[in-house]
Amino acid sequence: MFTVAPEIPVDSRPFADNTVTDDFVAPVDSNAPLSDHALMLAVRDGRLDALGELFERHHGPLFGFLVKFTGHRAAAEDIAQIVFERMLKYRHTYRDDGSFTAWMYHLARRCAADHFRKANAAPYATDPGDLHHHADEGPDAGQTATTGDDHALLHTALGRLDHSEREVLLLSRFQELSFAEIAGILECSVGAAKVRAHRALHSLRTVYLRLQKEPLS
Amino acid sequence: MMTCTQIREQLPALLDDRLATAATRDLRAHLAACPDCERELATLSETLRALDAMPAPSPTPRLRARVYAAIAAEQHALRSAPTPVTAALRPSRPFWFRLIQPFAAAALLALGFLLGQRQVPSPTAPSLPAAAPVVTPDPATQRELAELRQKMDSMSQLVGYSILQQQSRSSNERLRGVLTSATIAEPDNKTINDLIGALALDPSTNVRLNALEALYAHADLDVVRAGVLTSLPREQSPLVQISMIDFLAAARDREAVPTLQKLSNNNQADLNVRAAAKRALGQL
Repeated sequence: MFTVAPEIPVDSRPFADNTVTDDFVAPVDSNAPLSDHALMLAVRDGRLDALGELFERHHGPLFGFLVKFTGHRAAAEDIAQIVFERMLKYRHTYRDDGSFTAWMYHLARRCAADHFRKANAAPYATDPGDLHHHADEGPDAGQTATTGDDHALLHTALGRLDHSEREVLLLSRFQELSFAEIAGILECSVGAAKVRAHRALHSLRTVYLRLQKEPLS
Repeated sequence: MMTCTQIREQLPALLDDRLATAATRDLRAHLAACPDCERELATLSETLRALDAMPAPSPTPRLRARVYAAIAAEQHALRSAPTPVTAALRPSRPFWFRLIQPFAAAALLALGFLLGQRQVPSPTAPSLPAAAPVVTPDPATQRELAELRQKMDSMSQLVGYSILQQQSRSSNERLRGVLTSATIAEPDNKTINDLIGALALDPSTNVRLNALEALYAHADLDVVRAGVLTSLPREQSPLVQISMIDFLAAARDREAVPTLQKLSNNNQADLNVRAAAKRALGQL
């Protein structure tokens, strides 16, 4: 799936997927919003302003993914920034047949891996106090069926998952990616991506139920 | 017949809209008859619901500020430095343009030659003594002749450049040539002409940018400023155009004013180019 061009850092390897959902279609109406793919091609061609629009469209979900993935807001913010900086730096490697969202998560995954390596931090359980803090921050916290405690428990459960389990679960659940795209991001087969996502859900459920029975003191 | 363990492995697929398969019916049939597996599905479903309901925090405004600053910095770098240029930025000069370029240059050369001849007093001019079979032109005419020869030389070098360098050398080799020229402390006319030739005619944006960079050292020469000014309207790449405009502004070349005015009023031109032209006009 990937072709590695010489002299391109491994982080920037172009992402390609034949099942792209945001293929560029030349706009008939000039007022119609451009697709993500068209915007990224514009960035690649030197119209860097277009990255601003891509930031506005995608930084929210990306940040949400990174917060859940790292368990730390500050780290998530730093990584999100690096992801967009790498989009600029490696814009030339974005491919004509690329999928922007998949490419973004491909970069995000690499940046997060760099972060974990640098911080010398293997996946860790998050500080429960910190979790309560997060849980009540959502705009609709309290209005949803689940309580703040449930959020905190789930956050802790996520933190206890294996790094790769948490990753595949978050990618498959939140990011509106197809399993073909997820497989591309994780560099595995589509079948393997599904199996990993399903196993991760089983693991999360097991940890979550256990935590519910032994609530945080 | 699937066992409960096999069924349970497949339960997440039931909770994923993307994975509705033919096997779904079999799974549901099993669930209807197996309370244990149904409980299993319920807990998975509850976990997913809780996961989906987790609040999505927002980043601080700092993230947006930093990303936009990075975009602005990259834009600035793109404008001001001859950084590696992508294939996408390569100018799209039409093929016919490159084909006729050498001939156009040759035609200009011939025109210059004819004009030059006209200005030399004819040997049979009545004002000259009939006794002199060969006339030595007066010093002013000699000077004009010398200038014309020089122009012819540079023109022929340009033609030579476009034919030889464009076709037979890779852009890397041409770039190296330009960079070598740039390091010569006191370059001769040929080196300068090669650089102007590269700026005007080379198909690679990167080579043209580096040629322009090398010419900065010789901005005091009329021929250099004239070369840049002549190349500007023909230039297709906004990146090189802006660099040329900056060059002319830095060289304080008043002769550039009409060209810059035309450029800044041209609706077809790139917005950044027009802005650069306006800025340069202010400086001039």
